Amino acid sequence: MKDEIKRELKEIVGEENFTDSLIDMISYSRDASMQKHRPEAAVWVENAEQVSALLKLANREKIPVTPRGAGTSLSGLTVPIEGGIVLDLAKMNKILKISIEDRLVVVQPGVVYTALEKELTPLGFFFPPDPASGKVATLGGNVATNAGGIKGAKYGTTRDYVLALQIVLPDGRIMRTGSNCMKSVSGYDMTRLFVGSEGTLGVITEITLKIDPKPLRTATALATFEDVEDAGRAVSAIMRSGILPSVLEVVDRQCLIAINQNTTLNLPEVAAILLAETDGYTEEETEYQLDKVIEIFKQNKASSVRRAASQEEATALWTARKSAYAVMARVNNGLLVEDTTVPMSKVAEMLKAVEEISQKYNLKIPTVGHVGDGNLHPTISFDRTNPEEVERVEKAAAEMYDRAIKLGGTLSGEHGIGLDKAPYLKWEHDEVAMDMMLTFKRTLDPNNILNPGKMALEY
Amino acid sequence: MEAKYEFERKFRDQVLRCSSCGFCQAVCPVFGLTRRPALNARGKMLVLKEVMDGTIDLGDELVETLFQCTTCANCATNCPSGVDVPEIIKMVRKDMVKLGSCHPAFTGMNEVLSKYTNIYAEDEPEDFERERNRQAEYVYFIGCVGSYREDEATMGTLDVLDRLNVDYTLIDEVCCSGVLEDVGHQINQGLADKNIELILATGAKTVITGCPYCFRTFNNKTQYDRLREAGVKIIHISQFLKDYDLGVKTNKVVTYHDPCDLGRHCGIYDEPRETIKKIAPNFVEMPHNRAEAICCGAGGGVRGAFPGNSIAMARRRLEEAEEVGAEIVLTECNSCVHNLTNGRLRRQKFQIYTTTQFINMLAEGEED
Repeated sequence: MKDEIKRELKEIVGEENFTDSLIDMISYSRDASMQKHRPEAAVWVENAEQVSALLKLANREKIPVTPRGAGTSLSGLTVPIEGGIVLDLAKMNKILKISIEDRLVVVQPGVVYTALEKELTPLGFFFPPDPASGKVATLGGNVATNAGGIKGAKYGTTRDYVLALQIVLPDGRIMRTGSNCMKSVSGYDMTRLFVGSEGTLGVITEITLKIDPKPLRTATALATFEDVEDAGRAVSAIMRSGILPSVLEVVDRQCLIAINQNTTLNLPEVAAILLAETDGYTEEETEYQLDKVIEIFKQNKASSVRRAASQEEATALWTARKSAYAVMARVNNGLLVEDTTVPMSKVAEMLKAVEEISQKYNLKIPTVGHVGDGNLHPTISFDRTNPEEVERVEKAAAEMYDRAIKLGGTLSGEHGIGLDKAPYLKWEHDEVAMDMMLTFKRTLDPNNILNPGKMALEY
Repeated sequence: MEAKYEFERKFRDQVLRCSSCGFCQAVCPVFGLTRRPALNARGKMLVLKEVMDGTIDLGDELVETLFQCTTCANCATNCPSGVDVPEIIKMVRKDMVKLGSCHPAFTGMNEVLSKYTNIYAEDEPEDFERERNRQAEYVYFIGCVGSYREDEATMGTLDVLDRLNVDYTLIDEVCCSGVLEDVGHQINQGLADKNIELILATGAKTVITGCPYCFRTFNNKTQYDRLREAGVKIIHISQFLKDYDLGVKTNKVVTYHDPCDLGRHCGIYDEPRETIKKIAPNFVEMPHNRAEAICCGAGGGVRGAFPGNSIAMARRRLEEAEEVGAEIVLTECNSCVHNLTNGRLRRQKFQIYTTTQFINMLAEGEED
């Protein structure tokens, strides 16, 4: 990058918010995926005007710009694969407004999920899509990836909560989308276009989110199944019953074995366990729902069912699910966390497909997942220093995508496409849809400066 | 490929095991302050991965991140992959020092301890008006910060020990020099031997330390093996005090800051709280406490090398004391007291003491 450009960048953000030092370039070369590429410079921005000035400069000079929140992406969304500038939004971390009467909050993109939660909890409200990385991930990143979380089945994902956005377009123009109203059919829904666009169309500088009252009570139960298909049938029966659990999770046998090998938890090594949580405002309400769920577990050959009698017991039942990630992260030095998603009725079939792929490629693929919304997390621990093993992992992942799509599923439930899944996007979307995506991108970003190389949007 | 550096030989697998999830950003005090990913544990591990890959070498360009870690271990406690970042950082610093890449403050610290017997290069030890080096049941080991910077706190502690009729002696102590291990150097065996000989000469079977870092050094470092082999037990003042009836009380709102060296590094969370709850029924926890406590910013040589950031980290910690309405902030580490006091803003009216100093003030009617 020319010194002249660096000088201009410093003028825009201030000397203290510009860096091209080696340590920063290395730290911005990675996110939580295996992808890697150094930028040539990085800036911390403090407001939309700075973003606007910066994008005007980048657009004029055709310099790639990669927006970044906390850099927790699991698919390479924030890796500056074509170099250029990393636009770090973490310092734009103010909660601008909380309006309980209007059931909304206005935040800057760098606000961390738990920082918002901390403000809302005392008011009895919450923002439901809670990614596992919520204590570090930024809300801007959540919007850019349309992040989900453990409560997706009942409460949906980020897109269901974004009412309005302030966006800086690649040419530097600042735009507002959406409305503060719960209902609005005024013009194209441009807000939705930007949710999940992975920073390829514009930079989010302000977010208006809908918030929900937080249910006061929860009830929890755990069921073990000797056959994955029985667990799958139980999930389908819950869907038919009309009960909507706030959380419905699966932990498969490989995962239970991995946990047992690495902890003293001594879990039952059954084909699968299902964990259900129901929520509501009274004990009667939550227990009524849980009674139904337990009945369904039993009708579908659960080999055992445990119901938590206290909050402590509920916490204990969650131990297996909650310890899964840390266990898998310690098995080896490489970790691929997938988010393959299928319609809820296909969960058992997808779990069996993962098992087959695991055997075919001689890889352990423990799986947990949010079965209430069909979102599975097959997770592969592997030796990243062994190229042959890495190749098998890549092949296994590709085959999982293929199987999911054939089951009517999707490449990504909540992590996004980024770099990792870009080659496979055309497996899921037809030629016309792929062409339309490219058309949107070209129209908004003719010089392809914003997060180039992502989402198979090459031109 | 032959490992080039010692850290690689010892910690290669651990560095690789960092999955770059970034969860450490939630707890790293340096990142929390600066919002600069390069200074977070993940940033440090990424730098080290590149060093191991041979794309960069250890050198001066890396000092800013590798020497700016308080070794508070909050990242390690929260790491899903179980990476022991502080131990890796300490080893890398040794590699850097061997190469001649070191923060000048750390070089200075090592030079000071080769000439002086304390980290502050003070010629005269503080006079605590007590007999030294006598035969006694206990040795009370003060530590450098308690001797030269927080001497009032130490005086208070000694008064409490007197009031409890504890048979203790001070010694002509020298710096335990444990901190040198954190900043790329080695414990000075000469200083260690001096301490060991002075302690053994008193016939004491137990050393009570006022400083959690001296406590760790005496208990864990090979240079102090001889002390432990002689059957001498080393305890921290908070462990010693918890069984005593202190006979004082306060109605003030009191909170407790867990020093990293005592909490996360030694697992001592309950003893200080048992004592405080006895004297202060209005005890409140800060939002981040015990294993989740936020570092005061002083450790790992950061106070000497990056004083601006160190004080700013102390301020972040004190925001929580303010949030819970504390009138008194107690801790068990003179270094924390020192940094937190330096970081306190004028509007913050709470006082910051070690627990024993506060107990003494209550006993003397200086606080109620």
